[in-house]
Amino acid sequence: MLARWGTRGLVVLLIAALAAIPFVTDQQYLLNTIMMIFLFSALGIAWNFIGGYAAQLSLGHAVFLSLGAYTTIILYTRYHISPIFGMFVGAAVAMVAALIIGYPCFRLRGPYFTLSTIAFGEILRILLLHYVNFTGGANGLLIPYKGQSAWNLQFDSKAAYYYIVLFMLIAVYMFGKLITGSRIGMYLQAIRDDQDAAESLGVKTHNVKLVALLISAGITGIMGAMYACVIGFVDPGSVGSITMSIQIALVAIVGGVGTLAGPIVGAAVVTGLTEATNSFFGAARTGTSMTLYGALLMIIVLTRPAGLISLVELIKWPKKPAKANVEVASR
Amino acid sequence: MLTVVQSIINGLMIGGIYALVAVGLTLIFGVMGIVNFAQGEFLMAGMFITWLLNKWLHLGIYPLFFVVTPIMLLFGWGIFRTLITRVIGKSDIYQILLTLGLSIFLVNGAIMIWGPDYQSIPNTVKQAAWHLGPFMIPVARVVAFLVAAALVVVLEIIINRTEMGRAMRATAESAEIATLLGINPRKTFALAFAIGIALAGAAGVLISPLFYVYPQVGGLFNNTAFVVVVLGGMGDVTGAMFGGLLIGVVEALSATFISLDLAQLGVYVIFILVLFLRPNGLFGRSGS
Repeated sequence: MLARWGTRGLVVLLIAALAAIPFVTDQQYLLNTIMMIFLFSALGIAWNFIGGYAAQLSLGHAVFLSLGAYTTIILYTRYHISPIFGMFVGAAVAMVAALIIGYPCFRLRGPYFTLSTIAFGEILRILLLHYVNFTGGANGLLIPYKGQSAWNLQFDSKAAYYYIVLFMLIAVYMFGKLITGSRIGMYLQAIRDDQDAAESLGVKTHNVKLVALLISAGITGIMGAMYACVIGFVDPGSVGSITMSIQIALVAIVGGVGTLAGPIVGAAVVTGLTEATNSFFGAARTGTSMTLYGALLMIIVLTRPAGLISLVELIKWPKKPAKANVEVASR
Repeated sequence: MLTVVQSIINGLMIGGIYALVAVGLTLIFGVMGIVNFAQGEFLMAGMFITWLLNKWLHLGIYPLFFVVTPIMLLFGWGIFRTLITRVIGKSDIYQILLTLGLSIFLVNGAIMIWGPDYQSIPNTVKQAAWHLGPFMIPVARVVAFLVAAALVVVLEIIINRTEMGRAMRATAESAEIATLLGINPRKTFALAFAIGIALAGAAGVLISPLFYVYPQVGGLFNNTAFVVVVLGGMGDVTGAMFGGLLIGVVEALSATFISLDLAQLGVYVIFILVLFLRPNGLFGRSGS
């Protein structure tokens, strides 16, 4: 009990510390970096619903991210609909896409599922490039800055975005806590451990995976909309590419597949690594940070498949034995 | 009509290269059940080695074929021994993530060392073309196509007619039973992986006159190779060869008649349809 309250107190302290950062510094670069960590943490948690808890390796989450982002921007620039509403429409569009992708894809297993998510990602990217009138093609779409307005989610300082994204991350985390403790969360873990056994015990694995993908896509769509508002710009190369899909998955895998705190650790490490290498090597050596990503991914898979978060569990104070969630087999 | 035939010729020529990359991929999958997400990057490595050796030794591209392919065979063997062997028999999630990490590492490592720019290997075949009546057939494409076809035939013979091939087929069926029969599965896996990588490297040499050498060139072939492999039935070498030719033709026709930027769309739509309707491949035997 004491340990439990200890953890909770620690979390509250951590949130308070994070909330205080904009008061301490007004370095826009630092705030922006931390905000990106929040954003990718939320994306990693969303990916984890399907990639971690249900062990269905998706490399197509850029689909949901870019649908959320593009929908929001198009609604705002063309129809003057506030991004606050737009992001929910974007989430809905992403969920419809999830239904279209998930319904047939979940009949496939293992590498086939992953390959089909890549194919859907590429199809959307090609369409985004092709329908120039609607999406701006390769040039992408820009949100024109019309002065500070909370209604349009446009702010002069990074601090406002910082708080919004922090709030969203907390909301996503709480929602994740809710889901993993629920019946559907149990079903998902059963599928991860042994899909056939779960099926034989009466778990409708196909439907459960579909629900997990819908949740995952919806959150990814909303975060995509927020990403667009923060950056003020989307194009197929940045939000719609396989690189984005990989980056989302990477955050969860590096941090810890199938955990809630893992993606936060993963996002901090991955983003920190990018910023550190970029400032150390500068623009002259492009590719350095991505080379390290590749190496990191291989090292994690070969030495700590449960992710970096599993290192934390080693030093935790004694409590109930840690859950063994090392195995993420889909068979 | 003339454009149709010309498109089909162009499609078949590039299809031969797709087939070569995909045959390596499908061999690796067929024997050890691993989808190699870095297959296109080994093609890139083959191109870069060709480029470097051309600069240092001033050897032509075609003589270098006989140098680069063995180098890639060794490279593949080394990668198997250091990395791939550790995920044999593990969940396919780990296998995908490992090869994906390798792919990211190789692409960006190349960017780090040589920069993201396009390089080209000076050669004379680039412009050469045969004129067959109204049709134009670039020499470099014909050579690539013919060598690719020859390599696939040789591989077929190795798999079906030699002791080594029998060991590969036995290991593909069941590594355990193969062990009981005195076959060393690790050795067979290493061999299959090395051959698969060497084929990608060979493809890299063959396309050197046709494509620029740059770190991200593998991306052009990676997804197409997956499509071809699924189309031909995963693990089916003959299927991958015909799948490669088919995808080449589909791509060329849709580029000519629909639009250049939608050429890939047709390929992915076919891919998804095959995946859902005929998961054992277009020419697949039912059951696996």
